[in-house]
Amino acid sequence: MSRDPEPRSDALQRRDFIKASAMAAAAAIAGGTSFALPILADEPASGVDWQKAPCRFCGTGCHVQVGVQEGKVVAIAGDRNAEVNKGLLCVKGYHVGAALYGKDRLTKPLLREGDNYREISWEEAIRTIADRIQAEPNRFAFYGSGQWTIPEGYAAQKFMKGGLSNNHIDPNARLCMASAVTGFLATYGVDEPAGCYDDLDACDVLIMWGNNPAEMHPVLFSRVIDRRSRGEKVTLIDIGTRRTRTTEACQHYLEMKGHGDLAIANGIAHLLIKNGTYSQKFVDSFCSFKAPDDANPNLHGKTISFDEYKSLLEPYTPEHVESLSGVPAEQIRMLADLFGNPKLKITSLWCMGMNQHTRGTAINTMVHGIHLLSGHFGTPGNAPTSLTGQPSACGTVREVGTLSHALPGGMVVADAEHRKMAEDIWRVPPGRINGTAGHHTVKMWESFCTPTSQGGDIGTIWVQVTNPGQTLPNLNKLFNPKGDNKAGLEDKFLIVSDVYPTATTRLADLILPSAMWVEKNGMVGNSERRTQQWFKMVDPPGEARDDCWQTIAVAYELHKRGIEGMKDRDGQFLFEVRNADGAAVPIWDWEHYYDTNVDEHLFEEYRKFSRFKHKDLAPYGEYVKARGLRWPVVETNGQWRETHFRFAEGFDPYVAAGKEIQFYHSSTHDDRAQIWFHPWIAPAEVPDQDYPFMLCTGRVLEHWHSGSMTRRIPELSRAMPGAYAELHPEDAATHGLRNGDRVKMESRRGSLVIPVWIDGRGKPPRGTVFVPFFDETLLINDLTLDAVDPFSKQPDYKKAAVRISKVPS
Amino acid sequence: MIASLVATLDKDIADLSEIVSRISCIPGVELSDAKAVTHRFPVMIDSPDPDSLEEITRRLQQIPGVAFVDVVFVHFEDESDSVPVTPSGKPTCL
Ligand code: SF4
Repeated sequence: MSRDPEPRSDALQRRDFIKASAMAAAAAIAGGTSFALPILADEPASGVDWQKAPCRFCGTGCHVQVGVQEGKVVAIAGDRNAEVNKGLLCVKGYHVGAALYGKDRLTKPLLREGDNYREISWEEAIRTIADRIQAEPNRFAFYGSGQWTIPEGYAAQKFMKGGLSNNHIDPNARLCMASAVTGFLATYGVDEPAGCYDDLDACDVLIMWGNNPAEMHPVLFSRVIDRRSRGEKVTLIDIGTRRTRTTEACQHYLEMKGHGDLAIANGIAHLLIKNGTYSQKFVDSFCSFKAPDDANPNLHGKTISFDEYKSLLEPYTPEHVESLSGVPAEQIRMLADLFGNPKLKITSLWCMGMNQHTRGTAINTMVHGIHLLSGHFGTPGNAPTSLTGQPSACGTVREVGTLSHALPGGMVVADAEHRKMAEDIWRVPPGRINGTAGHHTVKMWESFCTPTSQGGDIGTIWVQVTNPGQTLPNLNKLFNPKGDNKAGLEDKFLIVSDVYPTATTRLADLILPSAMWVEKNGMVGNSERRTQQWFKMVDPPGEARDDCWQTIAVAYELHKRGIEGMKDRDGQFLFEVRNADGAAVPIWDWEHYYDTNVDEHLFEEYRKFSRFKHKDLAPYGEYVKARGLRWPVVETNGQWRETHFRFAEGFDPYVAAGKEIQFYHSSTHDDRAQIWFHPWIAPAEVPDQDYPFMLCTGRVLEHWHSGSMTRRIPELSRAMPGAYAELHPEDAATHGLRNGDRVKMESRRGSLVIPVWIDGRGKPPRGTVFVPFFDETLLINDLTLDAVDPFSKQPDYKKAAVRISKVPS
Repeated sequence: MIASLVATLDKDIADLSEIVSRISCIPGVELSDAKAVTHRFPVMIDSPDPDSLEEITRRLQQIPGVAFVDVVFVHFEDESDSVPVTPSGKPTCL
């Protein structure tokens, strides 16, 4: 006799439903089918509300669908409708939801009292900040981030430059992509890549210059691996200073010494000219030549002729390049042959390896230069493209211009006309914007850590959405010069807005709890000029509040006190927002902050700046509908159309008919890009007898940057619990080291004791060590160098001389 | 914790059934009824704890013939809250 099966519990049925949905999602992505997925299609039975957002972590800008139930994020899915990731996420996608729910979220404002902190009200916190600014407005600095959303960065920018007439605002992105900016400016006269991720689908050759996308931008790398798995021929070339997971997937690995990239780029250019394989048509039509002006160093350099360029390159024979870079001459010839073949489509990718470089501007221009010289530019698959590490390094830092010399939309404070345009958009009185650049990051922190009596002219820094106590170079000088003892620095005051305690909050005088990711509205801009938008989905914990609100609340407190800078030309508050009926909305009052969409108000004002350098942004509502749009976004026949490839006719609406290629922001005002020569120059610090190893620092797959979010996720933390020093097996043997042994690593600036990992994930060559920077208990930036690129002011985290000695167990 | 992944397979895999059987041997992994008609293979993981989810992903990645593993879907509502792991960063009053 058969029995009816036991009724399954609701919980089990629900679990089965989730499992079926999970499998359906994977099957749909794998098979390329397009049926509606139950869990992704707002299936009422699931009880989960799904909304779109970009991933919180890296600059790839994958879109996720965020599942919310009963006020909590419970599920994440790759967004199949997103062009960037086509439904896929990297392993960090496992954790982007859980990152909100670490147990030690900051939930109350905290004011330091001696060695302890006292919980205070938001009102007291806002008054405390306003007191500091009011007392010394010119000694106040704002240190922000490429994780600031676009409206957050814009509000901070307007508050500082349009309100306080103070240009001491700079972001952590100074530490990661400032050299990419100066490289684009020096070459094309305008920042940001011409190409986009579509190039990865079209290229025949992908060259990674000091870049490890298999770990740092995995979804992009998987896009290329997928092509290979489908049988397409794509040649992958890794030019790097150590073997990584990227190397394993590449057909060619070119191992170079630090600064070898300068020699390699010159070697390729030398051979292109010598072999007659450069594109004379492209060069004659669209390019000019430049060399550094040593007497007057600047981003424009001096114009040189093709023959002068050729003779400057003459010493860079393959054999000479081999001696400078360590890369065999044959491999230099191989690269030159690839670039010399017009039938191939070549994409170059780079990130920190070329940017964190004391010749970062130079190497950026030189890689653009070989693409231009060879004509590998302007068609899908032919592009030199820099990647960013943060979700809005492009959107907030480069486009909003939260740098100490910049204004929104690619304008600069030094230009009187730009200042006037910004003053008109902000409706502030003429002359409000200061024409002198403020302190860049390294200068700002150096000044903060220097006693006032010795010229340290920054007294208060407000940090939002970043962790300089871990990520600045040479921390013993730039963040923590006296250890925990503030002798001589008693008058300095550090304000930190963050979501978790960090190495930075440890020294803070005032800690403000912030809302994070989908706990607030937001907009960001990824590496391929794509602006993305999302809405708040859940409440932040405790009293945590939006960073943008914090800035506006302080501005209003100053306005209440009659500070002139907080008024516009009409005497209205700088951040006055009116609703549809024309009534002012008191957005400085947290209770009313979400009575209106502050992001939309700020964005609509900001986008007026975007026209100036043809970085046109669409109205806010267009981003609500889309999974991001790549600027310039231009209205044609009532449709807002994004731009895949800039400067190329047929793609870029600003290229005039018949021009084919037009660099319409050319610094020489003739629609030409600049091909630069720069000589090879040794790194700022090289190994010697006392410090015989070259230290390189970087990231790991499991942790995002300083690990303040990902180290709170147990599975990530267990998978990669702490930092380590990668060492070559022969160097380890010389020092009597085995896996797990501890070494004391010392540079001229600091030391730490750290376990060694031999034959680990990355494989550094002899004489070099690699240490990741995610671990706040092992601060490798105590050892790094604060030497900066002369133009971008970006430090070099990849080359510092160190020595190691075994620590007895 | 329930998650689904897509494993991208190498172009030149000699024996698909060998890969399939190695994947299905991993505890907690379920394969789709659908055959792997493309070089991409859907995989569902029902993991008892967060550790094993990461571990399973790593094991998948290491199977010869698997070129890359991407995440598609993650459901974590059953998860207990994560714990702080950076005590040195805590303000002293917390
Ligand atoms: S590649 Fe970057 S943006 Fe995409 S899922 Fe991973 S961390 Fe997020």
